[in-house]
This record gives sequence, structure tokens and C-alpha cells, in this order.
Amino acid sequence: MLFSGSIIKGSLDKGMDNMDRRLGSDIMLVPKGSREQAENLLLEGQRGTFYFDGSVDDKVKDIEGISEVTSQCFLKSLSADCCSSEVELVFYDPDTDFVVGPWIETNYKSDLKKDNVIVGSDIVTENGTIKLFGKDYEVVSQMAKTGTALDSSVYFSDESMASVIADAEEKNSFLTEEQKDGDILSSVFINLKDGYNEDDVIRECHAKAGDVFDVVYPKQLNESLSDNLLRITDIVGAVVLIGGILLFGILVLINSVIIESRKQEVALLRVLGNSKSKMALMLISETGAVSLFGSLVGCLLGALIVIPFGRYIGMSLSMPYLGPSFIGASVQVIVIMAIVFLVALVSSILFVFHVTGIEPYLALKKEAE
Amino acid sequence: MLTSENVTYRYKKNKRTILDSVNYSLEEGCFSAVMGESGSGKSTFLAVMAGILKPLEGTVRYNDVDLYELKDKELSRIHRNSICYVPQSNIMLKNITVLENIVNPYLETASDEDLKEKAVSLLEKLGIGNLAGNYPYELSGGELKRASIVRAALMDPKVIIADEPTTGLDKETGNRILSFLSEYAKAGNSVLVATHDEHIEGYADNILRLERS
Ligand SMILES: Nc1ncnc2c1ncn2[C@@H]1O[C@H](COP(=O)(O)OP(=O)(O)O)[C@@H](O)[C@H]1O
Ligand SMILES: [Mg+2]
Repeated sequence: MLFSGSIIKGSLDKGMDNMDRRLGSDIMLVPKGSREQAENLLLEGQRGTFYFDGSVDDKVKDIEGISEVTSQCFLKSLSADCCSSEVELVFYDPDTDFVVGPWIETNYKSDLKKDNVIVGSDIVTENGTIKLFGKDYEVVSQMAKTGTALDSSVYFSDESMASVIADAEEKNSFLTEEQKDGDILSSVFINLKDGYNEDDVIRECHAKAGDVFDVVYPKQLNESLSDNLLRITDIVGAVVLIGGILLFGILVLINSVIIESRKQEVALLRVLGNSKSKMALMLISETGAVSLFGSLVGCLLGALIVIPFGRYIGMSLSMPYLGPSFIGASVQVIVIMAIVFLVALVSSILFVFHVTGIEPYLALKKEAE
Repeated sequence: MLTSENVTYRYKKNKRTILDSVNYSLEEGCFSAVMGESGSGKSTFLAVMAGILKPLEGTVRYNDVDLYELKDKELSRIHRNSICYVPQSNIMLKNITVLENIVNPYLETASDEDLKEKAVSLLEKLGIGNLAGNYPYELSGGELKRASIVRAALMDPKVIIADEPTTGLDKETGNRILSFLSEYAKAGNSVLVATHDEHIEGYADNILRLERS
């Protein structure tokens, strides 16, 4: 229980931490009317098909108070030859990017060439390449796992966009007129300089680019989600804590029963010339072995529950859920076993002192009469 | 060999002083007995003499060493090699054989085989050599008592202290035990028993009578 609880908490925390980095912009401009879709994108990684004119980013980038601007374009649900499930294509500008970069797991510098792609963690590659619309692309990097639909996305440099769309058209993939047109963007990410007011900047953006966009505030979204998640991880944390206290109580009880029941035996062994310290060692190592074994079994059972159902747990909480890696889980098992072992040790030491402390004669007599 | 000086004992829950300044000496080669009505403090006295119940006052010396001043390790060594106590109840672990019950407490000091060989010969001497491989619940009270005595005698202690070794046993078994203990004492050791058994008169060299105070 202790094990599964801490795994769940750890996984949600990890998912959240990633979320923080994903939402790494102050404001995000999205096409008018698509705010909800965009928020879904941020929270659950579900791509939408929404576009505005490809020049929006250029129009706003020189506005006073803006430090960084980058843009992305999404092509949703283009079924590709490579993958069984649907893949989502994202075109971004490696030169200005500050959103995708932090995600890239393996070191990769920003010069993404035309035939190069970066893939989400769930995309399976073949010999480092991926085939899309009949064309091979070299996979230069794979993103860290996010626990969301982003894991099944493929990232291109914006320079590749025209040729990918052309290939797609050739392969008779369904494209809207908008998509065929090519000069489109799905969202513009903006970071502000310190000390500048969001509203002023947004007003300025409207002035420059026209009334074509809605504004999403990724960081605010994130905060409300964080609050939500904090509550849940707090509850899980409290359960783990209560579990820990219960565990201590149960171990104390078990140890007291085990050791009490052996009081007479211990007294007899002492009468026959076995020292207190030897007896203490015997009892402690026995309770220690029992608790180590018990916690190992407990962890395995916990793992059986949590690992297969982890995703489901995350989904039902509608939270990003990042499962533990094998090493992470093993470390957790070891940590928990160490905790259980220590607790068992402390609780058994109490009783061992009690049992070895009494006069052997009195302990011998206890049950005899 | 084993002497008590002004030994006084009172149980915490009990106002009554059970042992009041008892002076006693157990001599080498002697089979000694403590008698007295139930509740007179025989068991208490034996435990104090055996070094397993610290008296409120007074000292117990084994060859001029005060048992209750010793460190636990040193006292343990004496219990292992020199002063062995046989409790009134037969305490055996249920899930191991009689023979294992006898040798296990000593495994650290001698080889398993040597100990077992010795144990079997002692069991034979007491007439239960055939029961060595049995489990404790397969033995009668008298058989268990004899096994307990073998366990105490295994390391050839100089002193054996046994609490009511014949109580509840038939005459034949009781005499068998008493003659074994008497013989053990004659071999240059000492034996101290508490008993109600009238047959003791025929075996013991001296008898201490405790009064209920
Ligand atoms: N653990 C104990 N706590 C309190 N009183 C005890 C305890 N054991 C024995 N007594 C009392 O001490 C007295 C002597 O007991 P014991 O030495 O066993 O006598 P005996 O062996 O001669 O029958 C008894 O009256 C008994 O009630
Ligand atoms: Mg008694």
C-alpha cells in the first residue's frame, strides 16, 4: 500500500513537473474561437486543427515588451504509413523555439534540417528513420515521455511544411483547403520581458495583427491544474502517511506478539548460557527477516496493481500521469523496504529489550503456571 | 562451591518476604535438597542460587565470584559451563525433535555431532535413548523431564539445580531421576533440588527445610 501510494504520487508529480515545462510561455495566441481546443491541447496534449494566417508571428514579434516569439502549426490526424495509430504532425521554428526544446531528451541542437524529425516517446522508429507519406525522415531525437497525446507526435522544422503537405496531397490524404494553402499557423507562443503587463501587450497585438486570435494563459491554466493536482497528491500523500503510521502500529503489534510468544524460549536459552546480546540479535534478525520478506511481497502486490492500472488512474483523474521507470520503481522498492525494515527494527528493539531485560526465572515461570 | 549469604527476596506485587536472609552452602560432591510446603519459597530460592533471579539483598557466590556482579556475558558463560538450571515445567520447542531441543542451545561451542552423541548416551542412561528422534509432544511428562535433565547435564556443569524434578511422576521414574542426579553429584559435582518427594531422604546428603514466613 505504501508502495503503490508513493508510486502514484511520484508519477503524478512527475507528470506535473513536465507540464510546467510544456507550458513554458507567458501567453499563447490561438485562432479566434479555438481557445477551448487550445486549452485541451495544453492540458491533455490533444491536438486540434485550428489555424490562422501564417504572418501573425511576424506581425507581433517586434512589439515592445515581448522577449520571445515562436510559432507552431499542427496537422491533426494525418494517418501515416509508419504507425498503426494516428500521428500528429507539428511544425515549429527551431530558430526561435523555446517550447519544444526543453522536451528533447537526447541532446539536440536547434538545427533541424529538412529531412529530420523529432518524435514523441511513443513513436516507434526503424533504424532511426520514420516513413511519412512515402518519404523517409531521419529521427534525430526523441522527446521525453509526457503521459499525454504529445507522445504520439512528430515534430518537423517549419521549413519542411510545404513538402510534407505536398507529399500528403500526393498520397491522397485528406487535407482541407486551409491546410493545402500552407501559409498557416496554429499557435504563437509569446514570452514577455520582465515588468511588462500582459494586457498592454495583448492590446498591442490586436492592433498589429487584427482581431484574429484568442489568448490563452498557459501559466494560469497550469496553476489551476497544479492546485487540483496538489490536492490529489496531498490526499495520496496523506494516505501514504496514515499507511505508514498504521504500518508502524501493525509492526509493533506483530513484533510484540512474536517476541512475547518466545519469551519462555528466550529465557530458557539464557538459563542455558546464551547471552542477552545473542538473544537480542536472534530476535531482531528474525523480525527483520520477516518484515523484509513481508515488505517485498507487499511491494510486488502493489506493483501488480499500480503498474498496469497506472495510466487508468491518471486518466480517471484527468491528470498527466508518468509511470515510474523500472529503475525508479526498484529504487522505490528498496527505499520502502529500508523504511519498513527500519520501522520493524525500531519496534522490535523495544520488545527485545523488554524480553531480554526481565529476570530469566520470571519469564520461565510466566506461562508454566 | 555455591554459597548464599543473607539472601533476601520479596516479589514486587507481594508484601511478604519470601526469603529472609538465607545463608546456605552447596558443597562439592553433595546431593542437596530443599523441602518445605507449597509457597514456602523453594522455587524462588533455587532461582536465586542459580543466578537467574537477583535477590533484593545478599550475595550468591560461585567459587568466590558474586554471580550478580558479573557482566551478562560472563554470567552466561557460567550458565553454559558451570551452573545449570532445570525449570519445573518442561520447556521444549514443539517443531523440533527432542534431540535437537537438547543440543541446539549449545551449538555455538561444540560440534553438532559430538553434542548429539553425548546427548544420546545420557538419554540412554536415563532409559529414553529410543526417543531421541521423537517430537516433544510424543513424550510423556516423565520422559520430557528426563530429556530436560539431559539438556542441563549436557555440558557437564559443576552444579545442576532442578526445581521439583520428580513431582507428578510415578515412583519408578522419580527414583530413576533421583539416582541419576545422586550419581552425578558423586562424580565431583553438586546437585540442588527442590522437592516434596519423600524418597529424597534415601538419596540426598542434606536437606534444607524452608518455612512459610
Ligand atoms: N511472580 C511472582 N509474583 C508475586 N509473588 C510470587 C511470584 N512467584 C511466587 N510468588 C509467591 O512467592 C511465594 C513463594 O513461591 P515459590 O518460591 O514458587 O514457592 P514454592 O516453590 O516453595 O511453592 C508464594 O507464596 C507465591 O505466592
Ligand atoms: Mg515451586
